[in-house]
Amino acid sequence: MKGAALRVEHLTKIYPDGTTALRDVSFDVAPGQFVVIIGLSGSGKSTLMRCINRLIEPTSGKIYIDDVDVTALSQAEMRRLRRNIGMIFQQFNLVKRSSVLTNVLCGRLGYLPPAWALFNYFPADEVARALANLQRVGIPEKARTRADQLSGGQQQRVGIARALMQEPRLILADEPVASLDPATSHSVLRYVEELNKKDGITVLCAIHFLSLARRYGTRILALRAGQVVYEGMPADVDERRFKEIYGEDAVEVEIT
Amino acid sequence: MTQQAPPARPAFAPPRPWFSSARFLVLLVGLLIVYAYGWRVTKINLSELLIGTKFVRPFVVDLFRPDVASRGVERQEVQLGMSVDAAVAPEEMVPPPGGPQLLVPSRVTAVGAHLLVSGQGFRPNATGTLFWVNPIGNPQQVATFRTDAQGAFAATITVPEVFRGPESGPRGAQQRLLARVTWEAGPLRPSRTLLLVGEKIIETVFLALMGTTIAIVAAVPLSFLGAKNLTAKNPVGTTVYYLTRTFFNVMRSIEPLILAIVFTVWVGLGPFAGVLALALHSVAALGKLYSEQIESIEPGPIEAIAATGASALQVVRYAVVPQVIPPFIAFTIYRWDTNVRMSTVIGFVGGGGIGFILQQYINLLQYRQAATAVWAIALVVAALDYLSAVVRERVV
Repeated sequence: MKGAALRVEHLTKIYPDGTTALRDVSFDVAPGQFVVIIGLSGSGKSTLMRCINRLIEPTSGKIYIDDVDVTALSQAEMRRLRRNIGMIFQQFNLVKRSSVLTNVLCGRLGYLPPAWALFNYFPADEVARALANLQRVGIPEKARTRADQLSGGQQQRVGIARALMQEPRLILADEPVASLDPATSHSVLRYVEELNKKDGITVLCAIHFLSLARRYGTRILALRAGQVVYEGMPADVDERRFKEIYGEDAVEVEIT
Repeated sequence: MTQQAPPARPAFAPPRPWFSSARFLVLLVGLLIVYAYGWRVTKINLSELLIGTKFVRPFVVDLFRPDVASRGVERQEVQLGMSVDAAVAPEEMVPPPGGPQLLVPSRVTAVGAHLLVSGQGFRPNATGTLFWVNPIGNPQQVATFRTDAQGAFAATITVPEVFRGPESGPRGAQQRLLARVTWEAGPLRPSRTLLLVGEKIIETVFLALMGTTIAIVAAVPLSFLGAKNLTAKNPVGTTVYYLTRTFFNVMRSIEPLILAIVFTVWVGLGPFAGVLALALHSVAALGKLYSEQIESIEPGPIEAIAATGASALQVVRYAVVPQVIPPFIAFTIYRWDTNVRMSTVIGFVGGGGIGFILQQYINLLQYRQAATAVWAIALVVAALDYLSAVVRERVV
């Protein structure tokens, strides 16, 4: 399994109410990179991520994943492509009343015949795969627990296991640790880092804290008001760049 | 002497108290007009409540002695030949020896005469009735009595003018006096009313069950079409959404009683019409509740599962269904409660169930039988209310 290459060209998204969320965004991601996207709330990070797997339809511009033009795909082709794009969310987005195991198995739905859903049927090898992925994120004993019984960090790990079920080549992580405490943030990000380092999965990860961005990112992309305002190495984001990205009044908060 | 500072002038005039503001006064006058008109138009007349007490008393009294059990009835009868024409001799009738006897001062009498009737040898402490029987055998009640501890009684009657039969000759004057004493005997058995009420209350419960079940089967798929967040994504979907919602709103606004009238015309009197009426109304009521529930689910899981490449069906099954099942169950139980109550009155318009016989009892002034039905309704509705509360607590 090899990470996917991502190329975004002149991507623009204007919402029906006239808000311009993304303005002519272009960048390249090489396979296996861990790209951290930083920027204020509302700077377009979430919109960018959702345009890449077309949960949100871009207004104009092109997105290439391994030279496949995502924006030109039909709905059915897009669904097939989504199987290889894992997504992790700030609010975890688990089905709270379902078991952890079912939540993880949901990551595999794109590979299974839809009719099986009517009978809630998953083949034994998929269940085994789900248990293996839960093992990998360190909570195998929680398989039968209801998802809303878990702590935030555990829920996010279920989210990672669900993404792993897709055998993804690209992971979109939309502020995966913004709802977690600092210690848990590190443990969750370490799992994401491991997927990136060990499996070579390309990661696009929105993070608020610069310290976390410097620690985990191999590259940083900064958005401000829907535009890319900085692109470079994590270590190069100094006080001056920080104020460019976050505005003059911003003060960097350390998280260790 | 201390110098007192003059009171500081307020910078702003204090606001007028709420009750003297113009807006409040206008509102007050408006409300008074509304309620005065309402009082008139609904003909509220509190004195009727007092005047009507005597009419409602038998019903209230009978409410506390419902017809639930009865014994067999046994009777004693004695007849005595009488004549209302001095020229005609009364019929001779031989009573069985040792049995009860009727005595009158004279067996020849006249219409309008007062007659002291006495009897002996009847069952002690029983109630009886005296009938005047005309020549063709039609009895007319002339007195009621109660026998004493020795089985004797005495009562004064007025000889009535009766139909003398086709021949107005002498035989027309030959009439009879009949005394009948009845009493209950034998073991206590469920009364016929109770058996009928039981049969009808079972019909009522199943009427509600069938109506609710049919409604669930139809409302679940419809509710997904009527949920904005799932359906109204393109012009076709939006049209389907509005059509479904319009159907829900229109059907919901028609009371099941009115629907039952329509269905009794369509499929005839009986419980089937009631089932259809309850089902149609409940489809709309449940469909609206269901689809509003679907609209209020968390969008996050839908987004997450769609992002894995799942199809629409899989998204509904794994992101929507788990979120809506508990509220669906709660709404369904609530609807079942409502339908049980509704099915008790749907018989008033011929839709089957206990309402049908309850209405008949009331119309025939058989208040004790009506009371049996009323108590049965109260018991069953309360029991099912309790049951559904227990189920709801377990599930939700």
